Amino acid sequence: MELGTRKLLDRSFTGFGFLSIFLMAASLLVILTPIFVRGFGAFVFQGTVEFRRMQHVLFERGDPDELAAEVAAAAEARAPVYRMLAEFDAELAEMGFLERREYEGPLQELRAALHELFGPAPGVPEPVMPRDKFGQTRWDRAQVKLHEVLYRVEYDYSDPTRMGVPVEVPRADDFAGTSLAQLFPYLQAHAEEMLHPRLTVYLQFLTDESQDAHFFGGIWPEVLGTFYLTLGAMLFALPMGVISAIYLVEYAGQGRMISFLRTCISTLAGVPSIVFALFGLAFFINTLRVTESKSVLAGSLTLAVLVLPTVIRASEEALRSVPGTYKEAALSLGAGKWRAIVSVILPASLPGILTGVVISMGRAAGETAPIIFTAAVSVGKAVDVLQLKFWEAFQQPTPALPWNIYNLATEHEAVDEIRHVQFGMVFTLVVLVLVLNATAIAMRARISKKLKG
Amino acid sequence: MHDDRSQPPLPSRPSPVPPPSGGAGGERGRWMSLRRRRSSLLLSARANMMRRLLTWLGSGTLLLITSSSAIVVLFIFYFIFRDALPFFQLRGLGEFLTSTGWYPTANPPEFGSLAIIFGSGIVTLGAIVLSVPLGVSAAVCLSDVLPFGARQAVKPVIEILAAIPSVAYGFFALVVFAPVLQDSGGRMLAICTWVIGLPVGALALLIIADLLAARVPVERRGLVRYLTLGSGGALVLIGVYALAQRLAVIEVVSGTNALNVSIILGIMALPTVVSVSEDALQAAGRELREGSYALGATRAETILRVVIPAAGSGILAAVILGVMRAIGETMVVWMASGNAAQVPEPWYNLLEPLRTLTATIAGDMGEADQVTGSARYHVLFAMALILLLISFSCNLASEWIVVRSRKKLGK
Repeated sequence: MELGTRKLLDRSFTGFGFLSIFLMAASLLVILTPIFVRGFGAFVFQGTVEFRRMQHVLFERGDPDELAAEVAAAAEARAPVYRMLAEFDAELAEMGFLERREYEGPLQELRAALHELFGPAPGVPEPVMPRDKFGQTRWDRAQVKLHEVLYRVEYDYSDPTRMGVPVEVPRADDFAGTSLAQLFPYLQAHAEEMLHPRLTVYLQFLTDESQDAHFFGGIWPEVLGTFYLTLGAMLFALPMGVISAIYLVEYAGQGRMISFLRTCISTLAGVPSIVFALFGLAFFINTLRVTESKSVLAGSLTLAVLVLPTVIRASEEALRSVPGTYKEAALSLGAGKWRAIVSVILPASLPGILTGVVISMGRAAGETAPIIFTAAVSVGKAVDVLQLKFWEAFQQPTPALPWNIYNLATEHEAVDEIRHVQFGMVFTLVVLVLVLNATAIAMRARISKKLKG
Repeated sequence: MHDDRSQPPLPSRPSPVPPPSGGAGGERGRWMSLRRRRSSLLLSARANMMRRLLTWLGSGTLLLITSSSAIVVLFIFYFIFRDALPFFQLRGLGEFLTSTGWYPTANPPEFGSLAIIFGSGIVTLGAIVLSVPLGVSAAVCLSDVLPFGARQAVKPVIEILAAIPSVAYGFFALVVFAPVLQDSGGRMLAICTWVIGLPVGALALLIIADLLAARVPVERRGLVRYLTLGSGGALVLIGVYALAQRLAVIEVVSGTNALNVSIILGIMALPTVVSVSEDALQAAGRELREGSYALGATRAETILRVVIPAAGSGILAAVILGVMRAIGETMVVWMASGNAAQVPEPWYNLLEPLRTLTATIAGDMGEADQVTGSARYHVLFAMALILLLISFSCNLASEWIVVRSRKKLGK
């Protein structure tokens, strides 16, 4: 080949390498950006008057006088809406039967849409479900709902070769020529006065109990559940992992038994997480009966088995990185082997072991599959940390961040309504895992600096 | 093992008295008083034996704890196998592995898992096709091209990619990526065709033109080159254009499909592939590279013809580990694969929803749980057994490869 071609190929080869690194970084950015931006929106957003009313009713927060004034102002702005509806009702009563029937369906739909936007109309008996008691608490959702009040969706089946195409039809058209036609421009023009959007910082999202299947409130039970599961997993995995590593580094020889052990550990590291879930179900719950059914204990044990290889490997590496001179010095001072390990080698390798532990914690906190059958339920109350009833907490099933992200994103009855809660959960989980990993990276950097001198 | 005195003076306060070896008769009284103060300094024959026994017991306990991970592995195999066996007894192996009819709730039920096994396979294949070229070339860039500082900057990216929980990837695939794919999947595919097709086509053409030109006499080389480049260029352009036009009109019925999952799984497998193959490339050694450079090879030639063949086994291990990561992943495929137990038509159509082993286990266990003992419950364990056997053999293979290459390098 000619030199020019070879050079060009060389350049493009290097370029491809750069491109793949760039793609890797870009995909990380593309994945994290929506999670961070929209997850942040669960904590800081434009809250409407309905949000403040909900906070007052369900969580007893906020100044009641200020709230009453705001609610009154909003009600005043909304009053013309309900007046127009009442006028239209009167108009309807005078119409003929056929004409009336034509309007009744659309009117019912309109009322339902208005209820979703503003909450129950004045004079209507208080609904039972919390989600029906309040209108839209977030301005972004309120705008979507306002759009639904103004337009309804129809499907266009005119082209038989394709699926129905959704077409938006203004509801004003349904009521053209009646007194209700003026309602729609009014709604559009006065939406802000009726809902009072205001920048709201809702940090309690993290520490509030969820209300009515996550329609309102926060994610505290999930956060706490993840905390207990991670804590429990490390409680079992840490001692076992460190002891195994000590044995493998300091005591084990080169025999067949040891190479079998090592194969087992690497096999364990490669077992798919869903298989751990089945194993946890079949062994910890159905055979050992650590608890009657799902529980934090069973989930922790399963997670502990899952992270055990990681802990062993990290601890092994940390123990091996302690200079041999440390051990020799300890032995020359007359320390026994065990004493040398406990009082010299282990403290010296502690930062390295902790690094591995922190990374394993991130793994245990984020794993979903192993806890599906062993610990996770979608709704539940975790025992409060402040009461320190750890044993009780360990015996009951719990909601957990990773499981509830799945559950809310796929199985919840109103998936689109609570996107902000889902993003808030993913955000919390990712931040938790990233903070743990950043800690590990920082610790490792310090260790390598120290080892360099 | 050296003589173990496990109660020595602390290293920080060394005792001036040397430890005696056994009870010395005449000075016994003096030693006894010392012994009362510091019994550890004295070892009678009995105490010595006790100590040995203790050491033996201690290391035995350590071994026992260490072997618990081996016990766990055996237990996993035992329990999965124990609950998978009734299924094969009830239904046999034939239907499970050859039929594509998956109707576990029908009456009579059908448990043909071929489509599901196929789904796992095709998704894994897609992930590997994406992550291996990108991962290996990123590893090459990290080990041979980038300076040390830049490498330190890229490392955290890899670590974060590896650390993000799978459910977050799944959530992204379902909530962010699937709608985009559904709305503009065809256009995205067309753009990808242009972006990939044009440079690859141009490079291939250059090589072909060079090879052709080398076969003719020197004075006609220029003519041959330009002819090849001209006609080939037109062909490439037409080909890429035709393909892009065909792809652009595709309407993606559902954003939760095999392509979505393959891309996300590919991204998830990247960190494993990059870090393992980077280790392998670094282990290939400096001498090989220097030898090749000395012979006048370019960097690309050195890496492609010398370094990668030398590091081949390590890269193969990286690919296997990537396969393990992709095939064992649950949450992403459960959330974003569409969960339709079917073989797409035609089989390579990645835009169809499908279903994998892991997602089936995760999704069906909730319903099968109450009826423990039914074929429906045990078939899930049979699927887990398949997964377990695949991951076990992959693991053994990668270990064998590593051991073999180590032997080869060490001679």
